[in-house]
Amino acid sequence: MNKVLFFAHLRDAVGEESLTLDAGGKTVAELKADLAASYNLPKMDTVMTAINEEFASNDEVIQDGDEIAFIPPVSGG
Amino acid sequence: MNERYSRQILFPGIGQDGQEKIRHKHVLIIGAGALGSGNAEVLARAGAGKITIIDRDYVDASNLQRQQLYTEADVAEKMPKAAAAEKRLRAINSDVSIRSIIGDATAEMLEELARDGVDVMIDATDNFETRMMMNDVAQKYKIPWIYGACVGSFGMSFSIIPEKTPCLNCLLRSIPLQGMTCDTGGIIAPAVQMVIAHQTAEALKMLAEDWEAIRTTFVSFDLWRNQYASLKMSKAKFAGCLSCGEERTYPYLDQENWTKTSVLCGRDTVQIRPSTSGEVSLEQLAGQLSSLGYAVKGNPYLISVDMGGQRMVIFQDGRALIHGTKDITQAKSIYQRILG
Repeated sequence: MNKVLFFAHLRDAVGEESLTLDAGGKTVAELKADLAASYNLPKMDTVMTAINEEFASNDEVIQDGDEIAFIPPVSGG
Repeated sequence: MNERYSRQILFPGIGQDGQEKIRHKHVLIIGAGALGSGNAEVLARAGAGKITIIDRDYVDASNLQRQQLYTEADVAEKMPKAAAAEKRLRAINSDVSIRSIIGDATAEMLEELARDGVDVMIDATDNFETRMMMNDVAQKYKIPWIYGACVGSFGMSFSIIPEKTPCLNCLLRSIPLQGMTCDTGGIIAPAVQMVIAHQTAEALKMLAEDWEAIRTTFVSFDLWRNQYASLKMSKAKFAGCLSCGEERTYPYLDQENWTKTSVLCGRDTVQIRPSTSGEVSLEQLAGQLSSLGYAVKGNPYLISVDMGGQRMVIFQDGRALIHGTKDITQAKSIYQRILG
């Protein structure tokens, strides 16, 4: 199983700070697509992803037990 | 070194040597909104040698809650932010050479500044288009810069050092949609201050040349939801990056990629930038518009025209902000009605 954390407006859209789900074997891009469809999330392509607190690209494969965090880059200043 | 910087000199990370280095450095701050005001104030108080600050907007009442350099008088006079910031920064520290630029930060302008010598750039913009341009300028001229952004109670920062760290284009690969953040939940001042604290701490390390101390993680936090994250970035560098990779082209310095119109973040405002630059005689224009029956107000930097429903503010460089619309086509037609 994998713990998935959401930051900023993604947390509001999902309604939870974190979810526990099975994402082992999926790529980051696949997990993003699944979540976008299930929670009707805005475009996730440019949302930054961390796997175990390390930056991960969209083609990285998630292992069982990895903790995933989604951090949307924001533009306000 | 005078008494004024004594507490900062006592701090071991800076010391006498560090202070001397800070005093000879030039910081370029792009944007004079919430992040720009705060960064500029900290670095002016710290005794940076020279600060250049660029901004295209003017002070509005809704800015006062978090934009620390501005006052009610600046709102009443519709002072351009860059001019109001310059005045306040000079009053804070007359040791520092302050230059303000009222206008859009274009690639041409940033490259010219970079060629004249910039030691650190601070990101205080409100859009990714300008950030990607800064990122390319930073890579081309080897200038370290500090990304910072916030919305709601959420903020983030990352220090980008050419030839060393990944760059913004490595992280994003494309410009994120503005719609994801602009109109979500406003902004609270502590989120701004937290980003400023991260950016200015990094800036002081860079100015004092304590490169070992630079934070290598991407930090983000949510002060309301009590979330903190610190991402290791060693794997984020992208070999095929067009901004910092082996076959770099600096795509965001290309004028073709600039937009002439942009919707301002969370402001119900469209900016129109004329394709040819040149000075507009504001006094003459104000006279013409008044004689046509429009209500016109202004100061030496801009005029504000009431258009019934919308309000247009025209700057000396021919740029205009159309308030009261997010519709680019409508904004263009209003602009052309007045400026052709």
